Amino acid sequence: MMQLKALMVKEFKEAFRDRRALMVAMSMALLMPVMIMVMLKVAIKEAVDNPAVYVKYTGEQHAPKLIKALQDENILSFADVPEDEERNWNERNIELTIPDTFVADMAAGKPIELILRADYNEKSLSSPIRRIKDIVREHSLTIGYKRLLVRGIDIKLLQPIKLLEQDTSLPSSNAVMISLILGVYLMMAAFMSGLPVAIDSSAGERERNVLEMLLCQPVSTLKIVLAKLSCASSIAIISIILMLVLTSVAMNFVDLTKIGATFSIDASTFAILLLLLVPICFLAASLQLLFAFQAKSFKEAQSTVTMLIMAPSFIPFALMMMDDKPAWVEWLPISGQSLLMEDVFKGLPIDWSALLFSSVATIGLTVALVLILAKRLTSEKVVMSLS
Amino acid sequence: MKITWKNLFTTSLFITVAGLSHTSLAESALNQQLTLESCHVKGIRQQVQCGTLVVPENYAEADGTKININFVVLPAIDNSKEKQPLMFLAGGPGQAAAELSGQIYTGFNEIRKTRDLLLIDQRGTGKSHPLQCEESLELDPYSSMPEDFSRTDIEQCLAQLKGDLSQYNSENAIRDFDAVRQALGHDQVHIYGGSYGTRAGLVYMRMFPASIKSVVLDSVGPIEVPIGLFGKSAEQSFVQLLNNCQNDEKCAKQYPNLANEFAEVTAKLSLAPVSVEIAHPRLGTDIEFNISKEKFISTIQMQLYSMQTRSLVPLLIHQAYLGDYKPLAGLIAQSEGGMGIYIGLHFNIVCNEDFPKITASMKAADVDNNFAKGMSLDMIGKACAVWPKYQPSADFYQTVTADIPTLIMSGALDPVTPASNGDKSDKNLPNSHHIISKNNAHIVASTTCGISIVNEFLTLQSPKDLDESCLAEIPDESFMLGLNGGAAPVVNMVTTPAKVKE
Repeated sequence: MMQLKALMVKEFKEAFRDRRALMVAMSMALLMPVMIMVMLKVAIKEAVDNPAVYVKYTGEQHAPKLIKALQDENILSFADVPEDEERNWNERNIELTIPDTFVADMAAGKPIELILRADYNEKSLSSPIRRIKDIVREHSLTIGYKRLLVRGIDIKLLQPIKLLEQDTSLPSSNAVMISLILGVYLMMAAFMSGLPVAIDSSAGERERNVLEMLLCQPVSTLKIVLAKLSCASSIAIISIILMLVLTSVAMNFVDLTKIGATFSIDASTFAILLLLLVPICFLAASLQLLFAFQAKSFKEAQSTVTMLIMAPSFIPFALMMMDDKPAWVEWLPISGQSLLMEDVFKGLPIDWSALLFSSVATIGLTVALVLILAKRLTSEKVVMSLS
Repeated sequence: MKITWKNLFTTSLFITVAGLSHTSLAESALNQQLTLESCHVKGIRQQVQCGTLVVPENYAEADGTKININFVVLPAIDNSKEKQPLMFLAGGPGQAAAELSGQIYTGFNEIRKTRDLLLIDQRGTGKSHPLQCEESLELDPYSSMPEDFSRTDIEQCLAQLKGDLSQYNSENAIRDFDAVRQALGHDQVHIYGGSYGTRAGLVYMRMFPASIKSVVLDSVGPIEVPIGLFGKSAEQSFVQLLNNCQNDEKCAKQYPNLANEFAEVTAKLSLAPVSVEIAHPRLGTDIEFNISKEKFISTIQMQLYSMQTRSLVPLLIHQAYLGDYKPLAGLIAQSEGGMGIYIGLHFNIVCNEDFPKITASMKAADVDNNFAKGMSLDMIGKACAVWPKYQPSADFYQTVTADIPTLIMSGALDPVTPASNGDKSDKNLPNSHHIISKNNAHIVASTTCGISIVNEFLTLQSPKDLDESCLAEIPDESFMLGLNGGAAPVVNMVTTPAKVKE
């Protein structure tokens, strides 16, 4: 026990000695909440805000009620454009032409043709054009309904079939985007944050010849591996906690209710997420150590282990694509946690048996990897990277 | 086909046009009286919570007959449960709050972002032991006349009702509401009452002041003003419509003699009802459309409730003057299928809590008007003559003076709950403020501006410090100026409708 403790102290000291490297390892946890926040702010603005649109009208005096309806939705006349935006809107050049015959045709009940002219390929115009079309259509429909009504026709006749939709998702699951991103990021953080430490304490130590010295001591290789594993996984766990805390804080700055979504990480969600992710951190660290020891040099270790990161980010996406998920994916490491995390974010009740099984599977796999590694470290071939 | 007279009655009701209300779900109160589960309600795609609470029919006999009170919780978008819920009290009397869920879901979206909305079916409505009269009251609205309904119709209706009618009163309804609040584990709720819901709200404030955080009274029916006295307010609302038309350049040009035309049409109809042949608005078959003065005026009165339908009134009168009653038929078609009023509960409350309070002098003053005269009162009187009696508690008629932050809103064009009603409550309540919206009819919260003021009030809780500037931006009334909309058609209006008819 003393030996293990001494080994762990050594590993932690080494890991924390280089503060800057540690910061880099944690950087993902720090950056990610900021990223989510910025992304959401932009997305919400696009989804809800009705930014002012300036349209060049011709013949606007003929249809004051239509112009008023447009104005109510913040679609204004180019004549009123503020100076600093004038150049912009002049270039965008949305034109709406109302014919001189508007009044006469309206009274006569003839179809009236308005012309909407703009560059439909211009991305920034797609939302303004859609808004203008919607308002004109609605205005037109309202007049149509009234015309029929005053002719003694029941206007409900115009809606022969009405579709009543019933959405079975839970109300809180509409923040799908955030949950998805956060899920992938948490998974990646579990894998990435311990990575520099894992490589440094394995391939790095070998290049610095520390490993040989260590192995010469009268301690079992298992203890050495466990010490390295706990150090690398601790860093990953710290990183995840940091990420969750910062994300909860960052979410307070985003008004998700504007888009009819809600997101919060309360204490129980927090605990369950940690419960899910801690075994992943162990698995990640053991995999990284295994591959790093396998590599011949520090450089090779870096590139090999980086490939490992593909797994956690790829698996959740692959699961998303699968419409019919076989039952066993719920029990496997990574995929199991990934599905469970989805449930947590959707506010669904936790499937405790799945959680238990995937955790046991993950830890079992970790134990196996640790044992393999301990076994391999007794071989000089591996230690000297001769194989 | 439906009930002419039922629709007519609704003209005398307070109808809540917009929806509103609600509470949060609390996990705490899981006693066996309460059930709460996820469900879908009409008009809302997302899942909401539906519940029932078992309460005694008679609160004095806790072990006696039980009834189920049905309610719907529209959960806040933000599920943090930080803010107290808003309970919505529906109008009528006789509207079922839960049936308004769809409207309230969208109409009160701004409030629902952070607060649960709680909609409870008042006892006697919806799925809370409904008191409804079906078949016996359904008449064809085109051929029959509102005045056709008789004592027998009411008696048939009464025969269908079950339970001890004397327990289906306003005070017991409030006891149910407060029991639901408590069962859901809320210490306090905000309440929003619209129309008759304001009456319920005031009773709530008197009976359980500690349960209420703040109150919004929209289009007030205070206890001091009995429901049914709509003669003066409807006249005033109608006169304002005529004036607004004359003040609008185009409307004045199109309909220069609107007031005279109305007088002529009603004079002609009061001599003898008119019968015209039209295509059935829904079926398209040829039918006889009978129009009496009552039918004509009551249909117009129905349109005075909302700004959208008010816009059709000048055209309706002018066409009728020209002998074309198709716009009238089109409008009657809109209310076919009823207004969602549980008529049994409506009469049960109005006939016992309000009608007996109308004195001969009040009646005489109300009938002295140039619009519907005593029409609403006559209809209510017919029903109340046979309706079983109960005696409301003595406390019921007390003036409410609870010191709770209260926002009072009135529409200046309202045909049933005039701004003077709001002034009465404003005077009696110590912490209140009365907002009058100039270009609004019944229910101010039916506008975006109204809702944003309510939302601000719920957040700030100080009725006098609200930003009311958006009310000034609500445009003046505008009117449909011809059968095709837009400005005046050049053709003779008499020939146009005739052609369409063929």
